[in-house]
Amino acid sequence: MKNLLSAFTALVAFGMIAGTAEAADLVLYTSQPNEDAQATVDGFKAANPGLDVQWVRDGTPQIMAKLNAEIQAGNPAADVLLIADTVTLERMKQAGQLMAYKSPEAANYDKALYDADGFYYSTKLITTGIVYNTQAAMKPTSWADLAKPEAKGLVTMPSPLASGAALIHAQTLSGVPGLGWDYYKNLKANGAMAAGGNGAILKSVASGEKAYGFVVDYLPIREKAKGAPVEFVFPKEGVSAVTEPAAILASTKHAENARKFIDYVLSQKGQEGFLKLGYIPARNGMAVPAGFPARETIKVLPINPAEALKNSEKDVKGFADIFGIKG
Amino acid sequence: MAKLILNRLSKTFDLGGRAAVNDVSLTVREGGFLALLGPSGCGKTTVLRMIAGFEQPSDGSILLGERVLADASEMVAPEHRNMAMVFQSYALWPHMSVAENVGYPLKVRGISGEKRDRKVREALAAVHLETYADRRPADLSGGQRQRVALARCLVTEPDVVLLDEPLANLDRHLRQEMEETFREFHARSGATMIYVTHDQAEAMALATDVAVMSEGKLLQVATPEEIYARPEGRLVGGLVGQGAILSLPSPFGDRRLFDWPAMQDILAGPAQEARADILVRPQDVEIAAEGQVATVLSVLFEGERYALRLALPDGQALRAFSRQPVKVGDRLSIVIRAAWRL
Amino acid sequence: MMRPQNRGNSQPRWLFPFVVTVIFCLSVLPLGRLAATGIMSAFRGGASELLSDPGLWRSVYDTLSTSFFGMIAAVVLGGGFALLLTLFDIRGKALLGFLFMLPTMIPPQVTALAWIGMTGPSSALLKAIGLAPPLGSPQPLYSIGGIALLYGAQNAALVYLSLRAGLLALPRDAVEAARLSGASSFQVLKDVILPLSLPGLAAGAAIAFVSCVGNFGIPAILGIPAGIYTLPTLIYSKFAAFGPRTFADISVLSGLIAILSVIGLMVEARVLRGRDYRVIGLSGQVAVFRLGAWRWLAELLLWLTIFLILAMPLIALVASSLAPAYGVPLSPATVTIKAYEEILFRQAATRIAFTNSLSLSLATAFGLLVVTVLTGYFLVRSKSRFVGLISALAEIPYALPGIVLAVAFILLFAAPIPVISISIYGTIWIILIAYFSSFFAVSLKPVVSAFRQLDPSLEEAARLSGAGFARRLADIVVPLVAPAAGASVILVFLIACNELTVSALLWSAGTQTLGVLIYNLDDSGSFNIAAALSVLVVIMVIAMMVVLELMAKRLPKGVVPWRS
Repeated sequence: MKNLLSAFTALVAFGMIAGTAEAADLVLYTSQPNEDAQATVDGFKAANPGLDVQWVRDGTPQIMAKLNAEIQAGNPAADVLLIADTVTLERMKQAGQLMAYKSPEAANYDKALYDADGFYYSTKLITTGIVYNTQAAMKPTSWADLAKPEAKGLVTMPSPLASGAALIHAQTLSGVPGLGWDYYKNLKANGAMAAGGNGAILKSVASGEKAYGFVVDYLPIREKAKGAPVEFVFPKEGVSAVTEPAAILASTKHAENARKFIDYVLSQKGQEGFLKLGYIPARNGMAVPAGFPARETIKVLPINPAEALKNSEKDVKGFADIFGIKG
Repeated sequence: MAKLILNRLSKTFDLGGRAAVNDVSLTVREGGFLALLGPSGCGKTTVLRMIAGFEQPSDGSILLGERVLADASEMVAPEHRNMAMVFQSYALWPHMSVAENVGYPLKVRGISGEKRDRKVREALAAVHLETYADRRPADLSGGQRQRVALARCLVTEPDVVLLDEPLANLDRHLRQEMEETFREFHARSGATMIYVTHDQAEAMALATDVAVMSEGKLLQVATPEEIYARPEGRLVGGLVGQGAILSLPSPFGDRRLFDWPAMQDILAGPAQEARADILVRPQDVEIAAEGQVATVLSVLFEGERYALRLALPDGQALRAFSRQPVKVGDRLSIVIRAAWRL
Repeated sequence: MMRPQNRGNSQPRWLFPFVVTVIFCLSVLPLGRLAATGIMSAFRGGASELLSDPGLWRSVYDTLSTSFFGMIAAVVLGGGFALLLTLFDIRGKALLGFLFMLPTMIPPQVTALAWIGMTGPSSALLKAIGLAPPLGSPQPLYSIGGIALLYGAQNAALVYLSLRAGLLALPRDAVEAARLSGASSFQVLKDVILPLSLPGLAAGAAIAFVSCVGNFGIPAILGIPAGIYTLPTLIYSKFAAFGPRTFADISVLSGLIAILSVIGLMVEARVLRGRDYRVIGLSGQVAVFRLGAWRWLAELLLWLTIFLILAMPLIALVASSLAPAYGVPLSPATVTIKAYEEILFRQAATRIAFTNSLSLSLATAFGLLVVTVLTGYFLVRSKSRFVGLISALAEIPYALPGIVLAVAFILLFAAPIPVISISIYGTIWIILIAYFSSFFAVSLKPVVSAFRQLDPSLEEAARLSGAGFARRLADIVVPLVAPAAGASVILVFLIACNELTVSALLWSAGTQTLGVLIYNLDDSGSFNIAAALSVLVVIMVIAMMVVLELMAKRLPKGVVPWRS
């Protein structure tokens, strides 16, 4: 009994030393993949020596669930957010959960890429196109190709319930003449499935369980470089895009450092960091990563953020009804 | 050490349920050896567990000399009573050696080193198990385990030693041996001992006092001789000795012990409403000329004699011994030398 | 009105308040906080819409069917292994028992991924024998049956351990008595061994069922693509689509899961009613039956099972970790250890995650043992009418999916604790407390079983020897329940080490666990790195088990559960 107790005490002490993170100077909640998140934080720390940054990485819906629970409990831990889409941030802005900041770096950005009041700033361009397995018989060139009989039962796509980009994508395509929600119904009739996030789609296509998938650009382009049997296509109708915006939480206790972070991700240096990781930077006058076509040749389909926000619940439900997803 | 007093002790387990022990008052004299005798479910084990402190009385009190051990509101925990107990299942700790089992009460009392070793050795010697000190209980026979349990009681010189049907799991030969050990133990330790059993022979053989219980109530407390010779009531009479209880016309007066002439009167007396229970022990039934006629119902050869079951003309059964072989159905003439009115 | 406590019983006065406090902190408080949020939100939103959704009842049905068949699979696998390995003269028992424990230690999401890799169109195994299904073939595991099968493989060891503990406690003379009564081996099995080991089997089945109901990793990976939603994945989906009604909805769904698990436990209690078999005094050696000519067949069956549920998924996992990218066929030309280099030398997170998971698991396993020995003692010895309520409250957190518990603890601890105004949110402590809550039932079960089988007179003898409560506990009770306590520690450690769903919402910078890291890497698309880390975890677990195995001679008998 005594031995047991002392062992327990020792272990708890050990756990405390191992695990307790002291109060950081800045806490970042992000949906970037681990290596990318670490690289972003490393870059920021290099630019602002002496700051201790903690970061938490998870998928956008998961990290928002975490944040939402914290907000409901009245004590959100995060200072800054760097997540998939502006629609989510627009909702937070309207709920009064964000802090405005007019970054001097905004001058180098297209006005469409940041909030006029300074509540959030896009950092990069992430498009959703088509990935296919190189063994697939048909090489798709357009969204419409995936509704053809050759693709019957071979298409998969991320669920808007698990991916922020997927909802934007559905909302974008639903507004395109000739596609619309009917396109999704045709896909369903053609045996397409919708489930999980972008990572799962890439895996499903790379493994050959499915031949075609909707997916964000950087995943298949990076994996192809490593030898995966996949190919990424920018369909001729155009692609949807999310812009991975950054924002400061109204409840931040480190407003000064949070502003420094916004400035950093928008700066030339920060944007070069994203470029190196394989993302298209949002800043004007930047190159595109290897494996991407020239930025002007990428046709981004338009979306109205305010509309998208207004309809997001309806659109999620519409999508879920078509594909029989719960939630 | 002092005498152990049970004062109007009662125990009810469920609210509103039947009392397991009902108004039991009893005094065990210092150094006495009391047998609690009764059929299973009579409440004797509950009394024992209340004395040990495993159950709290619902009513009444338990005193050791001047010290109140338990009443309905307060009680001394078993660990502070300086009592010891031998359990029916021996309750030896399987993860300790024999010596460790025996020495544990000393260890708890903070006695260590040479003194503890010596006491353990003495206790094991008393039960003739010196050479088994390093064995595990699993390697011992039933009788040896029981002796280890006894040695564990011996080692601390307890005020009261409780024994809960300690011989129930042993064979007959071992029982006799263990009875001898218990007697020795009692003589040596001088401890007050309380012994629960359903076997009257065991109770008679061991105890200085016997308390008979039935259905939660105490029926009679007396020395074995007294209980045997002068049992009170049908239940005690039936439980002690192998006597037969005859239902006969009630004799006049308050005489309780009858000789043969008196019995003749009773047997020959007129049939009447009022009847009495008369206990007749087999050794008091003699086969002799000019007695009462009885028919042999069964015969059992016991070596030194034959044990008979006889039927009186009115059909009541009687037990007797015979030195001569008899046959079932024989008609014998018997004389009842002594009988006791219950 | 409470009756004044019977002071003749062996519990010290502080035990009842202690147990009540523990149950309150680990169960009532977090769940009450969640329920309060749910009820408050439900008043604003209303739960009737959710409850009238046929999709919800479909989920309830799917949860029940997958869990039921999963439990059956676990009972068949675990029960079969326990009976064969404990009672029969199988060769290589130690190795078989050792290997059978392994699937439980592999995190469920890794198991699911490994099995998919084994059976899907990209399966290297099926490709090698020319049976790989064509591109786009449906994955057979994306079904109720597939989910149940993996539940079975995952939870079989729980049944195995529980039944085995029961079988080891059987006295040999009970078996010999039956044989002398003229019973054949089969009759002895049917009439003596099975009835006496039923408490162990029922307890194991109940743990397995409750564990299936709360499983998240397997149905998330196998069910969602096929449109099969169990309640935990439904909660997860609701969470992902969080809206103003999310908390109300998941509180209602948690209530449903709580009801399902309580039903499961009630069935167990019914099976166990009137079967309080205390094995009196000493339990001797276990009897061993001869299988004769059937032995090689039984051995073949056992090894084949091990191959199917362990070897093949692990081979698939190793293959994934060595591939440069997912979907690249593995060959001497493509094989690379880049993933291992990344995980071992570049990712600082790996070291942090290993340290966190190990210290959390050890602290949970040993810390809980202290609590469960006392609680188990209370539950078995006390005649208090609250015993039933307390055991039910102890079970509920384990039955709830980790995600619900995680939200409950976030709600509870996100704001600084009142009075001392310290916030434990974002520290390792919130995960530790959630683990305590979540694995309380796992730790408690074997200990309670052991107490049930302990002859009370062993402790009463110690009381009369003058030993107080702490003394008895240390000298008599703990050594006698040590085998069960050892099993409890190992079970909790293994489950906590591979836990994902609780820590997935509670982790923060610097407090990542292994489960979180694997899931995170996999989720962000780094499949081969996730597989490499999984392989390292499996190696670590096997290494620890080998260490235990080597120590086994010096440990009390039965502490290492897979050893005779």
